[in-house]
Amino acid sequence: METPIYFWGVILWMIAWGVLGSVALNRRYMARDLDTSNVSFAGAMSGAALGPVGVGYLWLRTPALTPRLTTVLGILAVVLIAAAFAFADPQNNCVANGRFVASQISNGLIIGIIYGFMALGLTLIFSILGVVSFAHGEFYMIGGMLVYYITVIWVPGLNPMLGVLGACAIAFVVGAVFERLMLTPMYRGKVDRPVEYGILATFGLAFTLQYFVQAMHGASPVKVQRYVDFPRIRWPENADPHWISASRGNLTLFDTISISNPRFTAAITCIVVLLALLYLLHRTWTGKALRAVSQDRDAAAIAGIDPNRMNMLAFALGGMIAALAGALLVQAFSWLPQVGAIPAMRSFVIVVLGGLGSLPGAFVGGILVGLVEAAGTGCLPDAQKAASYIPAYGMIVLTLTLLLRPSGLCGRRFASGAHGQGG
Amino acid sequence: MKQVPALLGLMLVAFFAAFPLVYTGANYDYVMHVLITGFFYAILASSWSMLAGYAGQFSFGHMAFMGIGAYGTALFCHYFVIATEPTGICTEFPFFDNWLVIKNAIGVTSSTLEQDCLQQAMDAWEGSVRVTPMPVWLGIVLGTIAGGVAGLLVGLLVLRLRAAYLALFTLGFSEIVKAVISAEIDITRGQAGLELPALFDSGVTILGTDFSRTDKIPPYYVMFGLLLLCLGILTWLARSRFGLFVRALREDQEAAAALGVNTTRYKVFVFTITTAMAAAAGAVQAHYVQIVTPNLLFLLQMSLVVAMAVIGGVENFVAAAIGAIFLQVLLETLRTSFTIGGIEVDMTVWRLVFFGVLLMVTLRFFRNGLIAPVIVWFGRIGVAEETVAKRKAGGTA
Repeated sequence: METPIYFWGVILWMIAWGVLGSVALNRRYMARDLDTSNVSFAGAMSGAALGPVGVGYLWLRTPALTPRLTTVLGILAVVLIAAAFAFADPQNNCVANGRFVASQISNGLIIGIIYGFMALGLTLIFSILGVVSFAHGEFYMIGGMLVYYITVIWVPGLNPMLGVLGACAIAFVVGAVFERLMLTPMYRGKVDRPVEYGILATFGLAFTLQYFVQAMHGASPVKVQRYVDFPRIRWPENADPHWISASRGNLTLFDTISISNPRFTAAITCIVVLLALLYLLHRTWTGKALRAVSQDRDAAAIAGIDPNRMNMLAFALGGMIAALAGALLVQAFSWLPQVGAIPAMRSFVIVVLGGLGSLPGAFVGGILVGLVEAAGTGCLPDAQKAASYIPAYGMIVLTLTLLLRPSGLCGRRFASGAHGQGG
Repeated sequence: MKQVPALLGLMLVAFFAAFPLVYTGANYDYVMHVLITGFFYAILASSWSMLAGYAGQFSFGHMAFMGIGAYGTALFCHYFVIATEPTGICTEFPFFDNWLVIKNAIGVTSSTLEQDCLQQAMDAWEGSVRVTPMPVWLGIVLGTIAGGVAGLLVGLLVLRLRAAYLALFTLGFSEIVKAVISAEIDITRGQAGLELPALFDSGVTILGTDFSRTDKIPPYYVMFGLLLLCLGILTWLARSRFGLFVRALREDQEAAAALGVNTTRYKVFVFTITTAMAAAAGAVQAHYVQIVTPNLLFLLQMSLVVAMAVIGGVENFVAAAIGAIFLQVLLETLRTSFTIGGIEVDMTVWRLVFFGVLLMVTLRFFRNGLIAPVIVWFGRIGVAEETVAKRKAGGTA
């Protein structure tokens, strides 16, 4: 397929005006002594979406950049890119084929929910310990591996849900023990640069866990049977197409959107656990203590909360969340000791996009990244290359976020639990 | 006594310089290979410790720049040749009296199927035209420059980022480089890897001794020389004002900026220099092993470099280099599998577990690494006595 030259022309035009808008408006707002926290993003989006008109308007009027204005501009820019793509390549599957688009979007949403859930663990750890856990992917990996070992090797025929629970419990203990053994010096002021120490320590854990599993298990891939079968449904019975029809391994909506059973159960479980987690964080004493520590360690300590115990709990919970994501997805993908690298990368992208330390941001970011990846894999003309570039789509998002809005979508202004280091 | 570290260092250099000439034990080529790889990791570990330990910029993309260096020279040597006659089918330019021929990218094909344009032309010429590959040293220089330029660009992009963001971004950058190399099969041949000419493809004569292209001694000295060069540059940098500024930046960026240090410029500068070193090491290593594959960029490689630097001592690049050589030798000697009580222990993987545990223990209990404190200890011998003696002598300081 031949991409017409004007597609690249439009993209270049948008990039040029976007860069110009972001740089020029930054200066303009700075010169007028206005709030510049949002201006790089809004400027880039207005430049990309409306070209000289948008940049000129913002330049002359310098309106306050409300979230609503920014969002509208951002969506406009995305729509414009999509339109240019549709004109450039009208035969493409994701322009011409509505069913394909619908199933790509629903797939992106579902996998995005799982990504977001996994990133939630990372952001929980960061908001309380101030550490980016580089072992997150390895927790994901051991989650899946443990389910396999529990339900297939150690106790054959065990209910898979018990296997998932067991995997979560073991990951929780591993996280708690690691935090006690390795991360405690960070808070006692024994380390000059705690953030870097935390990165290296979790990096060491990742290395050790990965090769430990490889040494114990070997390099052969494993897979687990799906946990539950869908009941056979046709509903409504005599409609054509059926609104919902399900067989054991697959769920079909309107005869177009097909959702595989493992992903569906994983997404539903993630949502349930997420609700439970929100309940824990907002309605119980422990959860309130956790949030208090993430806002201000010293004040929380004065109020009678032991921050060190909260650290341990947060790290263990974060690791457990990653392990749960792995335990749910082991029925969908084949599992290797190296499987954690890509989801870990993805979680990093998501937490930066959502704002390090922001729980809702992680979830929204997860869905966005899921959609971007679905679009990337579905729409690029060369399917093989599209699949190879999966890690790159997230990185484009990451780069844009860091350039335009380093605090992320829902980034918090105040210092998170970085021990006086600032956010 | 204060000269002990310097003396020991000199002895170590002399030992490694003389080693290939005096070593007569078994497995000569294998031992040489282990040491060459050790020097390669030593360059990476010491430049990374300059970046992470001295400047406080924890980059996890160091191997990506190494890969850019390696692929830079590989692509250059693979696609550019000089022929005395125009081929008529390739892209080509007059080049003094010869022709600079650029091969077309055909990706991975069986040799019986499609041939690249140069091969077709050579078949037609039937050996009447001389085709010269590009000089290896030029490829290495270009690879180094490519790595340095990539480092400069990434450095400009990440200089505003704080520790966690920087680590995430560089890790992602390394994933992107790997994805691009694996995906662009037409050009990079993907997992099949690109073959390169050897460091001295037609042999070399040093001091009257002829070495063939497979001999280990020339690449040994090339890699060793590169290591010494890098250590020399790093030492010079660390002792100059630059080193002072960079350390100030690590300790407190705002304070350094307030005292007039151009933090941005020095961050980018240190990033560029260390990445260029990594790229140079990668380019030389690529010519030594004669093949590059995307597996160079596995996270394991980066983990090894980080672990070596941390175990050696992340704030002292000489210690990091020694640690890297030492650990590389250790890892190789640990390769032998053994059997305990009927259970075979596959040491090829368990040694990495051992390595990870060593990394964590070092981090937890020996924060300055295992080798750096020894150097510091020797350096400080007698300092206390001297100070006491000075005080007794009536000095008021």
